[in-house]
Order: sequence, then C-alpha cells, then structure tokens
Amino acid sequence: MAQHVISVDRVSKSYAGVQALRDVSFSLGAGEIRAICGENGAGKSTFVKLLVGITHPDSGVISIDGRVRTVSGPQHAQSLGLGFVAQELSLAPRLSIHDNIWLGSAEVPLIHRRARFRARAQQAMEMLGIGDWDLDRPVGTLSIGQRQLVEIARLLARQARVLILDEPTATLTDAEIERILGVLKLIKARGHSIIYISHRLGEVFDLCDSVTVFRNGEHVATKPVSEITRDGLIELMLGRPFGEMYPTVPLQREGSHAVVVDGLNVPGMVHDFSLVAPSGKVLCLAGLVGSGTNMVTRALAGLAHGATGRVTINGRSMRLGSVAYCVARNVLFLSEDRAVEGIFHRMTVLDNLVATGLAAHARLGILSWPRLHRFAARLAQQIGIDRRRLRAYAGNLSGGNQQKLLFGRALERTEPGVLLMNEPTRGVDVGARADIYQLMRELCRRGYTLIMTSSELEEVVGIADIVVTMYRGRTVARYEREAIDMTSIMADITHPPPATKAVA
Amino acid sequence: MSEPVARWRKRLAVPATPKSWRQLVFDARNPLPVIRATVMIGLAVLALTTPGFLSRPSISSLLTTVSFIGCVAAGMTLITLSGNIMSFSLGAIVGATAMIFTASVNWGGLAFGFAAALAAGALLNAAQGFVIGWAGANPIVVSIAALSLVYGAIEAVGADGTIYAQAGVSYGLFKGEIAGIPFEFVMFLCVTAIGQLILFLTIFGRNLYMVGGSLRAAEAVGVRTWRTISGAYLWAGMFSALAGIMLAIRYDSASMDFGVGYEYEAIAAVLVGGTVVKGGEGSVVRTLAGALIIAIIQVVLLLKGLRQEWQYLLAGLLVLAVVVLQTRGAGE
Repeated sequence: MAQHVISVDRVSKSYAGVQALRDVSFSLGAGEIRAICGENGAGKSTFVKLLVGITHPDSGVISIDGRVRTVSGPQHAQSLGLGFVAQELSLAPRLSIHDNIWLGSAEVPLIHRRARFRARAQQAMEMLGIGDWDLDRPVGTLSIGQRQLVEIARLLARQARVLILDEPTATLTDAEIERILGVLKLIKARGHSIIYISHRLGEVFDLCDSVTVFRNGEHVATKPVSEITRDGLIELMLGRPFGEMYPTVPLQREGSHAVVVDGLNVPGMVHDFSLVAPSGKVLCLAGLVGSGTNMVTRALAGLAHGATGRVTINGRSMRLGSVAYCVARNVLFLSEDRAVEGIFHRMTVLDNLVATGLAAHARLGILSWPRLHRFAARLAQQIGIDRRRLRAYAGNLSGGNQQKLLFGRALERTEPGVLLMNEPTRGVDVGARADIYQLMRELCRRGYTLIMTSSELEEVVGIADIVVTMYRGRTVARYEREAIDMTSIMADITHPPPATKAVA
Repeated sequence: MSEPVARWRKRLAVPATPKSWRQLVFDARNPLPVIRATVMIGLAVLALTTPGFLSRPSISSLLTTVSFIGCVAAGMTLITLSGNIMSFSLGAIVGATAMIFTASVNWGGLAFGFAAALAAGALLNAAQGFVIGWAGANPIVVSIAALSLVYGAIEAVGADGTIYAQAGVSYGLFKGEIAGIPFEFVMFLCVTAIGQLILFLTIFGRNLYMVGGSLRAAEAVGVRTWRTISGAYLWAGMFSALAGIMLAIRYDSASMDFGVGYEYEAIAAVLVGGTVVKGGEGSVVRTLAGALIIAIIQVVLLLKGLRQEWQYLLAGLLVLAVVVLQTRGAGE
C-alpha cells in the first residue's frame, strides 16, 4: 500500500446535536493536489478544522505519515507538517514580511533576527518565485494577492509538507489567481501535497489532481479530475441533476434608458466615466481590482466621497453623496463586503429584510408591526427562505442565504428600482448562486435596472446582457449580448489597446 | 436512522428557534438564559429570607433609589445600543438639570422649570451626540470633555453651592405617592415604557439597533447615522434630566453633587440587564431588570449589616462577570 501523508478513518463530529460530519474517510498522497468541494454547510470547513486541531473529532482516527495522531491544535499540526491558510488572512500589516513569516512560530527564540531564519525565509520565498521581494518590506504595502503568497511562504518556511488552503482565491482578481495557481503547481512539483477548498470549479479542473465532494456532512465521492466533468461535479455537490446555471434570457422589449451617467469622477479612482444602462437588463462592469468598477457603483449609490458628475435615473436628476437620498429613490446597493457592509449579524432575518422598507410601513415614524411581518414573509417567500427562519439571527445563515436577504431588501419597492451590486456571488455556494441568478432575472422581468461588477470572467459572460470593461478608472469598451466574448474582455481589462474605443 | 431521529435532527438544525425541551432548559452554546434564571431565583430567595426586606420602608426606599439611577440607566441603554458604550457625563447632566430646574421653578414656576430642565438635558446631550455621530469622535473622550465643560459652566455662572427651593414653591402631587407607590418609581416606569416604545415602535428605534449592530451596514441601507446617534443622546439627556428633576423635588434643593457616580451605576444596570456592551442588542426593559437586581442586592447587603464598600465591590464584580460572559458568548 502506498504511504499516505494524511489518512482519515471514519471521523464524525457534531455540534450541539447537529451532525456536521458523519463517518468521513479520506486519504491524501504525497505530491497530490486534492480539491474539496461542496455547498456551504457541507462540512468542508469542519473537516479542515479537525485536520489542523482547531476542533476535535467525536469519533474516528486521523493518521499522519502512517501514525495515528491526536492533533491538539494548530501549533501541533504545524510541527506535524500541516500548514493551514484560513480564508481571512492572518498577517500583521505593520510588520515586515520576515517578521510575519516567523510570527508565532514555536521554533523561534525570543530574538529571531538570526541569519539562519532569514536564510530559511529567503529560501521559502525563492521556492515561490518571489525571491526578489525585500524581506523587510511591511506587509501592509502588499496587495491581497501578494499577501496570500506571503502566507504560503510562511508555511513553507516552517517546513509544511501539506498546505491546506481555504478559498485562497475568493478575493483575488483573475491575474492574481493565475499567479497563485502557478505557484501552487511549483510547490507540488517539489513533492508537497495541497488540500484546496474552492467554490470556483474552473480552478479545481485547472489545478487539482483529484476532487473530494462533501454533501450534508458526508463524503460523497473522491475522483481524479480526469474522470469527471464539470456538470458531473456540480451534480455530485447538489445531489440532484443540475439545470442551467445561468437562466435563459427571455425576449425583452427594449427598455428605456433608465440610468444615464455623464462625466462621473471619483478622485484617484474613476475618471470621466459615462454610461447608459437600460432597464430590464443586467449591465456588468468588468475590471481588475483598482480599475474603478466597484467605485462606479459606490458613487451611484451615494457611498463615494468627492464624487462628481451628472446622473439621471428615468429622467430625474440624482444627487451624489447621500445613501438615504438614493434609497428613497429606489436606488439600492449590495456591497462586495457582505459581513461588514451588508448583514446585521445579530439582528433577525426579519429585521434584515425590512431594513430599507421601514419608511413604507410607518406613519409619522411609528411602525406597523403586523404590516412589517406580512411584508417580511412575502419577501422571504420570494427569495426562497423558509418563513420559520424569519426569527433566526441573520449571522447564522449561510453566505448564500445572507446574500439572498440582501436581494430581498430590493424587492417590493414602490416602483422598479436600480440595483447596484458589487460581486453579488462572492463566497456563495453553487446552489445559492443559481438561485441568485434567477432572482436577478426576475428583477429584470419586473423592470429593474441591474448594474453589477464582477471579477469572475465566467460569471460576466454568463449573466451579463451588456458588458462595459474598465481599466484604471476609464472605460475601455462596451459589448452587447452577442458581442460579449471572454477573450476580448480579458484583453481589455489586462492590456487595453492604447487608444480606448469609443463608448457605444 | 429512524424516522423520529431524523425529525429530531431536522428540528435542531433550525437555528435560534428553540423548540425542543433540551434547548429550552439548557443550551450549551448559550448559557445566558439559565444563568439569568438562576440569578433571579437565588436573588428572590435571598431577599425574601432576609429579615426586614419585606417591610414597607425598605421597599419604598428601594423603589425610590432605584428610580433615580434607573432613569439615567434607561438613557444610557440608548447610548450603549447605538454602539457608543457609555457616556461619562450623564451624572453631570443630572446635577446640572437639577440646578436648572430649581432655579427656573423659583423664577418662573413649575411648568417652566420642567421645560427648562428637559430642554437643557436634551440639548447638552444631543450636542455630544452630534459631535460623535457627525465627526466620528470617540464617544468616551467626548463625554469626559462634556463632563468637565458642564462642571466648569455651572461654576462660571456662580452656582457652585447648593440652590434651595423658595419658600413659596410647592411641588404638589409630585411629592409623595401614587396609589402607595413612590412618585419616583411611577416616573421610572413611565420612562421605561417610553424608552421601550421608542425602540420597538419607531423607525428611529429600529435604526438605532442597525447603527449599533453595524455602523457601515446601516450607512449602506441609507440610515443617516449621525441623526440616529444624536437622537439616542438626546433621549438619554431627557431621561437624565428627569432624574435630576425628581432629585430636586425630593430634596427641595439641587447641587452638582446630586449625580456623582450615577453613570457608573447606570452602566452597571445596563450591562447586568443584558444589553450588549458593543451595541445593537438589548432593551430598556432589560435595564429595568438590571437596575432592580442591583438595588435588591444592595438593600440585602445593607440589611445584613455590610458597609457601603462591600456594595461597591459587589457591583464591580457583577459588571466584570457580565462583561466576561458577554465576550465569551460572542466568541463562540
């Protein structure tokens, strides 16, 4: 029998009566890249937490290098050669790369600026092809993608042989993702193993050797990626046949020019941006981080400081800089940062749903709770959330359901509104993602104008009726339905032609 | 897996709707309700077995004392809910409004006195709320500065001693009891009711929970956060002014010593009542419970012959225990 680096035999784990993992067995060979896929709540993160000792199994055995181990905690896991990068990075921005690499390591004596440790840090950086970076540079000056690389270097310097990465690319742009994937392939070539958790199936097929699927806390299948198709993988994750991810677009009569933006400027971010968005369509702004796409939507929502320009919605001129003003005119915003700028975690689902609808159900500032309850129940039904969950804390919902809540806030306005969405499916599992695309189409049907940004090209091409590409705060080109194609969008957002095309 | 077990699991998987008896009695993830019930029962037994507790003077003095602090605590609840932890200047507002009340009653009668004191309390506090909400200033620092300003201003107008009510002033039915309940406690119950109605029946109240829960998320749904924060401080100022007015009526006089230390006792009542120190979760009724718990403990200690120092010590330990429990609860 081939020696497995990690082998897990029938582990189970439950939290307060809820079974999170049931009889899961798993094994990983040396030099193997294994993807773990599953919807939110399938048990992926519980499984990883068991491996690195953040939680402990109720039953079952974990062996590392053939020896049965009880992993007592992340420090212990590290000494066994298991390194874990959580979704939220854990670097200290004010400290240098070198300090961050050794921060909290058990091997390091009190004073760590010894040549030996520096050499090891340097060696780890070189393994990633970033040996030319200055080790004394503060981490705060690096981009998110670069920080991700430092996290990986940190694990390599500590002699990790198995890297466990939880959605390492969730917040990265396509170019940064390419780089990370390249680095991971390099690491694999040196005999390290990688456990790779991702919602992005493209990466799974591009990078991984094999894939393990979890569903409802159970191990469903483990297969080499060569023996499985994309649709087959999605069906395994959902446990049912999967229809079309992106809903077909019904024939639409040409809507009016709902949103007209002329000469929008946000200092340092967006320059002389103009846009015409018709109602009943999904317009997608595509661009890398820093291209200004997210700032355009923020400015239209009244959330950008110092934004200037002329904006009219259905012929009415809009004031920039006040969110309350926009919400009162049915212009609503969904942030890319759901945890900080979207959901009220410690309030109920009901409170979250009615957050933008209070004024419509009150007289002289006094609320009518019976009306609010009925309102929330209707919204919950439309977004597909069980009515019984109205009293649950919003923080306890999965990422996908939280995002649906935010969509619910935009429903049942007095008139069809404008919905501005930044990265509407970030951190959302595959099932909820399809639901959200359906919701977006439903809103189009009701005459809403949808303007969204996305850094996932596949999504852009899949959902958008109109794509506007941006580069460094300026428009590059505009594509309508049939003209939308991935290669030209990719070219626009990475290396646009010197003279930008005229906006159609 | 048998059918009942499957149903059982399904039921448990729905969060925050405790339906099974196990969760109702004890939920390991959320021990607070059990702790709360234990404290209540223990306290009731302790109080009822203490000789002299159930006497009329003891109850009456308990209800009176709890009311002064309770009104301030009701106001403090709104500030805590708004995410600004606490204000150090509410005690000074109590003293200042008591003096303004006594002076204006002497000058222009009872109604004028009420109006002047309430307006002063509302204005002094709303100004702080505006600075905090509009400029994003640190609430603790602003309130300490305000404390100093209020003391300085009162001394500057030459009122650094005690003002007495003039011989002709009569407070009529505001002194004494209504149906055997001290007037102060009736006021406190009214303040609690008003506070609770504001929180649950008004747009302002819901906005307050949103702002306290997540300032940025509140901004993103179009809440004018500076208005909400100013509003919370304004109401806190009015409620504290009522405490000042009641003190001035009870003692027929007023001085800046009246409110000293009230803000600490008020925040103790807020936290013991179960309002979350980070904001966004809690209520005025909870604070009423918190204030009563602390007051009952104090009376019991007094009747058992323990000195004032012990009461402070106990109040301090209680607040620490609550804060630790809250923090640990949030970390789960």
